[in-house]
Amino acid sequence: MKILVCIKQVPDMESRFKIDPAGTWYSDQDLAWRMNEYDEYAVEQAVQLKEQTGAELVVAAIGPDRVKEAIKKALAMGADRAVHIKDDRSFEKDPFAIASILAEYARGEAFDVVFTGMQSQDRGSAQVGVLLGELLGMETVTTVVGFAFENDTVTVRRELEGGLKAVVKVPLPALVTCQLGLNTPRYPTLPNIMKAKKKELVTRNVADLLKVEPLSATAKIAYPEKKGGALVLEGEVGELSDKLIKLLKEKTTVLA
Amino acid sequence: MIYTREIYWNVGHGAATLVPMYLLALAAFAVLARGFWRRIRIYRQGLPLARLDHLGERIKSLVTTAFGQTKVLRVPGAGTAHGLFFWGFVLLTIGTTLIFIQADLLHPLFGITFLKGNFYLLFSVVLDLAGLVGIAMLLGLAVRRYLVRPAGLPNVRDNALMLGLLLVILVTGFLIEGARMAVTELGTPLSSWSPGGLVVAKLMAGMRPAALRTLHASLWWLHLVLALGFIALIPFTRLRHLFLTPANYLFADRGPTGQLPTLDLEDEAAESFGAGKLTDLSWKDLFDSDACTFCKRCQDRCPAYATDKPLSPMKIVNQLQELAFTPSGAGLIDTIGRDELWACTTCRACQEICPAAIEHVPKIVAMRRNLVLMEGEFPGEEVQTAAEAVEVNGNPLGMGHAGRGDWAQELGIKPLAEDPEVDLLYFVGCYASFDKRNIKVAKALIKLCQAAGLKVGILGKQEKCCGEPVRKLGNEYLYQSVAAENIETIKGYGVKRIVTACPHCYNTLAKDYRDLDFDVPVVHATTLIAELLQAGTLKLNAAAFACTYHDSCYLGRHNALYSAPRQLIAAAGGSLAEMDKHHAESFCCGAGGGRIIAEEKIGTRISETRAKQAAQTGAPLLVSNCPFCLTMFEDGIKGAGLEAQLAPRDLLELLAERL
Repeated sequence: MKILVCIKQVPDMESRFKIDPAGTWYSDQDLAWRMNEYDEYAVEQAVQLKEQTGAELVVAAIGPDRVKEAIKKALAMGADRAVHIKDDRSFEKDPFAIASILAEYARGEAFDVVFTGMQSQDRGSAQVGVLLGELLGMETVTTVVGFAFENDTVTVRRELEGGLKAVVKVPLPALVTCQLGLNTPRYPTLPNIMKAKKKELVTRNVADLLKVEPLSATAKIAYPEKKGGALVLEGEVGELSDKLIKLLKEKTTVLA
Repeated sequence: MIYTREIYWNVGHGAATLVPMYLLALAAFAVLARGFWRRIRIYRQGLPLARLDHLGERIKSLVTTAFGQTKVLRVPGAGTAHGLFFWGFVLLTIGTTLIFIQADLLHPLFGITFLKGNFYLLFSVVLDLAGLVGIAMLLGLAVRRYLVRPAGLPNVRDNALMLGLLLVILVTGFLIEGARMAVTELGTPLSSWSPGGLVVAKLMAGMRPAALRTLHASLWWLHLVLALGFIALIPFTRLRHLFLTPANYLFADRGPTGQLPTLDLEDEAAESFGAGKLTDLSWKDLFDSDACTFCKRCQDRCPAYATDKPLSPMKIVNQLQELAFTPSGAGLIDTIGRDELWACTTCRACQEICPAAIEHVPKIVAMRRNLVLMEGEFPGEEVQTAAEAVEVNGNPLGMGHAGRGDWAQELGIKPLAEDPEVDLLYFVGCYASFDKRNIKVAKALIKLCQAAGLKVGILGKQEKCCGEPVRKLGNEYLYQSVAAENIETIKGYGVKRIVTACPHCYNTLAKDYRDLDFDVPVVHATTLIAELLQAGTLKLNAAAFACTYHDSCYLGRHNALYSAPRQLIAAAGGSLAEMDKHHAESFCCGAGGGRIIAEEKIGTRISETRAKQAAQTGAPLLVSNCPFCLTMFEDGIKGAGLEAQLAPRDLLELLAERL
């Protein structure tokens, strides 16, 4: 069995974001980079499946050289080998182009299970996983918060609206996109960090894998409008609760 | 008349006495040697550690600490009793040895006697008094142990055996002396030079001489057997501390105080890091475990133990001893317990007070290292998040790294990247860079330096966490990563001197980084300001205030900086009311050992306990000079409901207000 986990390196969300001169993305100055949070759940689940089945686990990421840092973390968490698809302009590509590049690579390897994050923390389109599943012709389940593998069948719990959960069973090959709550990503141990330095990390040029034209482009990005933020209620406890109930009734639907 | 007495009176000095006596003595010492030999084999299961360098100084330290009882005497009461008993015991041992030298060496070989005349009188009275003091101290210690019963003092068979055996040996000594004196000395001027024996002799005065002689001979042999039994028992009971405690003064860590071993993480041959099993510890750790006398001084001072957490430094040392000497197959860390290991604040109160020079903190950190580096375990998810925040943003608070120097802009302080020509680099640390409360302290230090005409620079966004909290939690890899980056950055600017206001940064840069090829001089703000005041380059307008002062663990016990902060309080016009626990006995705020980034889920809050201690002084200000302490006291004072009577301040704030 062969498993693929697709990861993205994103800026830490505490970073001070500035818009780049072209006005279509954020500037990469003064940013601290890390693995996309949802992809960490994907890596953890993939490593657990590898430990359960003895499968080979490959990690793939698209981006400039700095994404190797995120790849190394995935290797230290337990992936066996890695593919870095080098693309200094990956931020300009739409989810379809990214999914197509990953699909082009993955077709050559015949993966049985593919893990991705539910969405990225920076673009947040939540499309790459589903598009990749479609392009690879795999059973695809999104926003997974529980995962089990038995008798060549993947059983997942997925989040629905309104706090409901669904249990879905799919045969292999399957792709799942991972949501917060699925697991607690492990902290790499020192021997695994050291081993990761010696694991195979192949770099492929994006030009060799890009066979499609993007379907969409970012026209402009802007800071969110600053709106009235917090409201501080003051007074005695009884008075405060009356004020709060009034506010909740007027401004929200939670008490409707 | 020449004052003396017949040695071996009544028991005889012939082969009938000497042969069995020396055979018994030989047997006792053989048992002693064999017992220790077996223990040494167990100590040697530990990893090698060089503890015999600077042998001359080590021997000097052994002699002064053991014979001066300096460590033991630091705790009055039981410590005083131990000290007095010890000196009595030493005098009696010397006395017995003098008798052996005269009676069985010098006199038979060369006809020389020296236990006579005035020297004999001195000998007689000193030994008698030593014996009386010994008995009094043993009785006092027995009363403490069995009637007063101090909380947390474990009683085991060994304690009764030691006290009982020593008491019987001393009492039989006086009975033997009394019986002899009743026959030979009663009514002579000599008898008053043996006051203890005289009392016994007078009680026995009515007995017939033949009965006295029989009693004397029987007691003499009993006394001999008990004394030799005592010697033979040493390795097998806690009496072994007679040898192990002085030996531990010889093997003691010669500093720098509290410096942890820096792991070689690139070691390809290393299969494991930290201590996951007993043999991952050093021989000294196993020796330490055997040297513990269960005096509970460490436990009495442990902030975790005092706030109902499962940690007791004494218990950990005891468990190590049991694992080493009575192996049950149980794992090291499973036996000690994770909650116990994570509860330590590395405050060093245990190690500072231990009369047997046991090193508790490095053992705990060694086991934490195994948990983090080999198992990826932390005390909680929040700590793993903080560690990851250090990796990504260079601070455990998870703040964006680019804003690290923002606080300093309004003061005209530039990062070295913009202006490297400075007198002093201020290594700000994470809390003073990002935490609003502590930014005020950072600004105070800048104002003080500027008032003294010093040009100060910072690293700004190039500065990373010094690595102290994660290191103390066991994450040596992350510590060495951030340390290497800081060292490279600082060296790149050719910095001449560094000032820190955070004792944790100070300890790390000034001590820990020394193992990583870093030698830029580092000074703590307290020392720097004291220097500036003394040199007259800085002047304060003293204004009276009342306060109490909290010695942070890392300025105090770890770096012995006690007087400079107190001088500064006085210079600022402060009148200081000390808490019960101050200087080396200070009680941790709860944030050391990386606990600043961990939630305190077990027991009561250490910070509230300390806040209550501060409130007891009646002073309205709790002055400290550590960002972790300040953070803990802001919470602890509120948590203890003391906001109305006590406010936490950093010393630098008080000084800057008086410029």
